[in-house]
Amino acid sequence: MDDIDAMFSDLLGEMDLLTQSLGQETEPPEPLPSTGQEINFSVGFTGLNASIQDLEDNDLDALMADLVADLSETEKKLEAEIQGLNAPPSSSSDLPPPPKGLGVQPASSITSPPSPGNNRSSSVTTPSSSTSSPLPLPQSSKPTMEEIEAQMKADKIKLALEKLKEAKVKKLVVKVVMNDGSSKTLMVDERQTVREVLDNLFEKTHCDCNVDWSLCETNHELQLERTFEDHENLVEPLLAWTRDSENKVLFQERKDKFEVFKNPQNFYLWKKDKKTLKDMKDKDKELLVQENFCGTSIIVPDLEGVLHLKEDGKKSWKQRLFQLRASGIYYVPKGKTKSSRDLICFVQFDNVNVYYGKDVKNRYKAPTDFCFVLKHPQIQKESQYIKYLCCDDAWTMNLWVTGIRIAKYGASLHENFKTAERKAAVSAAVWTNRSTPSSSSPSTPSPTIRAKTATQANGHAPKPQPGPPHQGIGNLPAPPPLNEILPPPPPEPVLPPPPPSLASKPPLSNFPPPPLSMDGLPPPPPPPPMDNFSEDPPDFLPPPPPPTSYSSLPPPPAPAPAANFGGNINKSLPPPPPNPEFLPPPPPDPVFVASGAPPPPPPPPPPAAVSAPRPAAQQKKMPPAPPKRTTPTLQGGGGGGGDFMSELMSAMRKRTDQ
Amino acid sequence: MAAWDLSVKVEDLGPDAPPVTISVASDLHVGGVILKLVEKTQMQRNWSDHALWWDQKQRWLLRTAWTLEKYGIHADARLLFMPQHKPLKLGLPSGKTVMLKACFSNPVFQTVMGICRMLNIRHPEELSLLRPVEEKKKKKDKDMTEEIYDLTEVPLSSVSRPCLYNGMPAHFADSEQMEGVYKMLSVTQPPPAPEVIAKQYRPASVVDKSHIHGRWLDSSRCLMQQGIQENDRLWLRFKYYSFYDIEPKYDVVRLTQLYEQARWAILLEDIDCTEEEMMLFGALQYHINKVALSEPQMMSSNAALDDLESALQSLEVKMEGDSSSASDLLENMTAPELNDYLKIFRPKRLTLKGYKQYWFKFQDTSISYFKSKEESIGEPIQQINLKGCEVAPDVNVAAQKFLIRLLIPAPEGMNEVYLRCENEQQYAQWMAGCRLASKGKSLADSSFQSEIQSIRSFLAMQKTNSGSSNNSAASDESINTHSLVSPRYHKKYKPKQLTPRILDAYQNVAQLSLTDALMRFLQIWQALPDFGLSYVVVRFKGSRKDEVLGIAPNRLIRIDLGVGDVVKTWRYNNMKQWNVNWDIKQMAIEFEGNVNIAFGCVTADCKIVHEFIGGYIFMSTRSREKSDTLNEELFHKLTGGHEAL
Repeated sequence: MDDIDAMFSDLLGEMDLLTQSLGQETEPPEPLPSTGQEINFSVGFTGLNASIQDLEDNDLDALMADLVADLSETEKKLEAEIQGLNAPPSSSSDLPPPPKGLGVQPASSITSPPSPGNNRSSSVTTPSSSTSSPLPLPQSSKPTMEEIEAQMKADKIKLALEKLKEAKVKKLVVKVVMNDGSSKTLMVDERQTVREVLDNLFEKTHCDCNVDWSLCETNHELQLERTFEDHENLVEPLLAWTRDSENKVLFQERKDKFEVFKNPQNFYLWKKDKKTLKDMKDKDKELLVQENFCGTSIIVPDLEGVLHLKEDGKKSWKQRLFQLRASGIYYVPKGKTKSSRDLICFVQFDNVNVYYGKDVKNRYKAPTDFCFVLKHPQIQKESQYIKYLCCDDAWTMNLWVTGIRIAKYGASLHENFKTAERKAAVSAAVWTNRSTPSSSSPSTPSPTIRAKTATQANGHAPKPQPGPPHQGIGNLPAPPPLNEILPPPPPEPVLPPPPPSLASKPPLSNFPPPPLSMDGLPPPPPPPPMDNFSEDPPDFLPPPPPPTSYSSLPPPPAPAPAANFGGNINKSLPPPPPNPEFLPPPPPDPVFVASGAPPPPPPPPPPAAVSAPRPAAQQKKMPPAPPKRTTPTLQGGGGGGGDFMSELMSAMRKRTDQ
Repeated sequence: MAAWDLSVKVEDLGPDAPPVTISVASDLHVGGVILKLVEKTQMQRNWSDHALWWDQKQRWLLRTAWTLEKYGIHADARLLFMPQHKPLKLGLPSGKTVMLKACFSNPVFQTVMGICRMLNIRHPEELSLLRPVEEKKKKKDKDMTEEIYDLTEVPLSSVSRPCLYNGMPAHFADSEQMEGVYKMLSVTQPPPAPEVIAKQYRPASVVDKSHIHGRWLDSSRCLMQQGIQENDRLWLRFKYYSFYDIEPKYDVVRLTQLYEQARWAILLEDIDCTEEEMMLFGALQYHINKVALSEPQMMSSNAALDDLESALQSLEVKMEGDSSSASDLLENMTAPELNDYLKIFRPKRLTLKGYKQYWFKFQDTSISYFKSKEESIGEPIQQINLKGCEVAPDVNVAAQKFLIRLLIPAPEGMNEVYLRCENEQQYAQWMAGCRLASKGKSLADSSFQSEIQSIRSFLAMQKTNSGSSNNSAASDESINTHSLVSPRYHKKYKPKQLTPRILDAYQNVAQLSLTDALMRFLQIWQALPDFGLSYVVVRFKGSRKDEVLGIAPNRLIRIDLGVGDVVKTWRYNNMKQWNVNWDIKQMAIEFEGNVNIAFGCVTADCKIVHEFIGGYIFMSTRSREKSDTLNEELFHKLTGGHEAL
């Protein structure tokens, strides 16, 4: 064991430091400590964008949350893997890791649901099912010492590997400028695509999520600007920025981003007269998109025209007849025909990006201000390798830029559009209802932390889940948000609720495993998620959770969640104020609290908690249903969201059941 | 009814045998005539494929229930009794010839369906037959007996079901010879010798191309009606450039032949492309040929573990082994690297004049260099990250020059750095490393070894090309690069000059599997601006000069012959109707918005133009929902013209 521990710590390196610091810092609710934490974190990333010191408190909070989420995600994965490895005995093995201070467990709690397959109708039964799940435990709990040890070893190894991997992932703290001039800070890791970051931002703002929302990059020094494509990774281009750069990432609506899919005729039939283009029927537009994007090959708009060129660092602009082809931009050499074979390759797209140039008339004496620029993404300063191309009007410029994007990105563009459309449709239905939770993020630092702690406590308790976890694991990956967010902060000491967690850790051996699992699973897990969500929403990526939690309550599942709610509120959330801020629908909470409140209070002693929640659930089964329904309607203003909400609910239930 | 004598020539009796005369009445149906004929000849054989051909009227008497009267046959009719399926020499897109029995009595559309069924090509509606361009037999070409793959023995009945045996249709599995034929159909041909390319007919202008398109057979009439004789030679080609639902799993032959057609279109400049595109096509051809030769082994090389993954895996193993120390583990985790003395030159820096030797270390995606090997533990003099850089070779094997030119992006612009290697081996490794690093892959990437291999094989190509008369062990890898590009570039570049350019393009495709490479080739082909255009010279109503009508899968274009510019475009989806005046051979098309055009066809029969337009409209009606059954009737409606009625 010692050996392994030693190795373990060696390998963990920064990550270990990180987690430790995290744990310490989270304890005090004040925001300050978190700064230190971030610095620790920053080992992994280059703080190009916003040096951490510049961040405001609320930014820090948000970041904290992100970090925590991040960590917990890893842990969750880990947990999942561990579960996969461990045979039945896993229950016992799970326990050892918790002491390490990692919040791995919470994830598992969610995972364990034995009755995930059931629909909402089954929600009532969930509590019972959860109880049944523990049964397998007794058997598993018997493993010999060696087995347990081996298991622990295996777990640690897994954990180490996972951490190693995680440690290698670059993360950036990115400050995104909103279109109202304010800014949001979030953490982006190198695996995240622009699409994911956009979704994250949708979470944090109350924008309408339409397809035009984009992330743009501006280069201050060169006065360039471009829209990131949704499939790009965000971190990579940002890493190319110089240390002192005043470049920015903007979050704004860009009509040109997907215009080619909305009005393909303007690009593919641009030679036709304006009126025909304007009167284009939707059917024909669709056909055009189909023809050019859905065949075996992506067809690039047929573009050709005289443009003004400035290149090689020269000051003069010369005119050339350019032609766009799938393989690059070409020009017709002087005195030659336009025949393909005579064309000279001007640029191919593998290593260049296309940007809009600003203020080129002033800066470079350009003939017009409609300029697009081709350069290697890593070039950040004036250089002879930057090519400037000037068009006669904005429309031509738009044609070229879009054409180049099609040639460069091909089918990805269309994929991006389809994804964005889907996203917009869903959010149009659902998000409109959920009014303002995100924007208010700044004010509530302390509550958040508390919430987390509370959840954590719960999280630990659930761990015990023995057999079921395997199945749960499979399901878990997707939902990460809930669990992940919470786990890392070990703030247990601060809050009264911690008892459960403590109990769970040590008790393992002492307590009969089955009861623990049972207790922990049903009651504790659900509450944490809810709390977290309500408070955290702004910071975290996982958008679904907040709505889910609410939605889940209304329908049938009421018993368990309600209990939790009450419990949480009583325990961890003394400050009613925080809730209102985050949760647009304040009414629901009180309602639930009232119903659920009685049972939850006893959370500290694990066994007690178990007993308490169940009865509550049962009682509620019958009566609670009506209130829930009413609540949703109240919250939901919009009609469309129903289906989506119910889906979320069912998902939630699965978790809560466990 | 009165009986009269009908004489019928029976082909099976031989060309010189006198006609068989039978006594018939006008109310005798055709089936009866055939029965009498067979009885009279007293030959024992399977007559089921035979039918009567009426020579004067150029028509088959296929309705056996019709009476002679109904057909209007009198004693003076010259009738021929012969099989409906006859051997035909079919030139495939790949340039190979197969001999097979095709139906001479059904409309060509159905004949093609039959041929495609036999060859295992799906979507026969996209193909058709055309009369070959007469090859000028220069000097009788030493009686070049080209190989003909014989499929005439395949019993027609067995072809009806394409039951696959071992991935190929059952009728190919009968004998080794047949398997050979299938291999020819389904495997891409090696690059042709440059002389072969040069010798082929190449259309020099749009007008030349339009003449080729005048050769398509009429798909609503049968081969007999179009004067095609037994053993004649025809070309089978993809006619409609709208390739539906290509599924590599089922379309082995189709994909291969499509690739061949595309390849030849490029090589013969039937479709124009730029030099850069030509190099890429060349690289793909090279790659496809290479992979096709080593296909069996290629199948399982897709597991690309990244370095971290593999490092972790090995770590895991070690840890579970439990016997190794932590330092061991760490060692195990270190990614592979390259270390060597190389020479570096920075063209723009004044401080370094000429090449200077340093100890270089290639790790991950970066190159670092040190004064000497001994100092390599400390801080490097410089570290260069190659991610996103441009890599170009500058190699002359004969002169033993192995230079890697790097263009490395930096915030201030691109920095030029040359690395000089001592020998081929060193060059191949470092070049492969640079190539991968430029794409953000490290040396641990699974493609590293194959990258080295391909660089070496290109070096080998340069060796054999450079004239030191062919070392007899010319491996499959050594291809004359002139085989990969059109004759225009034969004149422009020597093979030696072409090699690095093709290699350059090759790095982007070197990792593709055979299928992916074929698809990529087709994609690039389809992305060419002129793709899918079939030309016809026409005279627009009211115009005094010939112009060219380009027929594409989705539109018609009008090309001014003088300038070569596209003057006008009409899309089919705006088309309201089109009419053909068969008497004056004029087509009139009406588009939405009161746009009317009319033209007469100069280089092709207007039936061909009519069929092209109707055909493309038919192609666009195919959709996945409608299963696989071909709507023949609709095709005929759209393309048949007056025959359809």
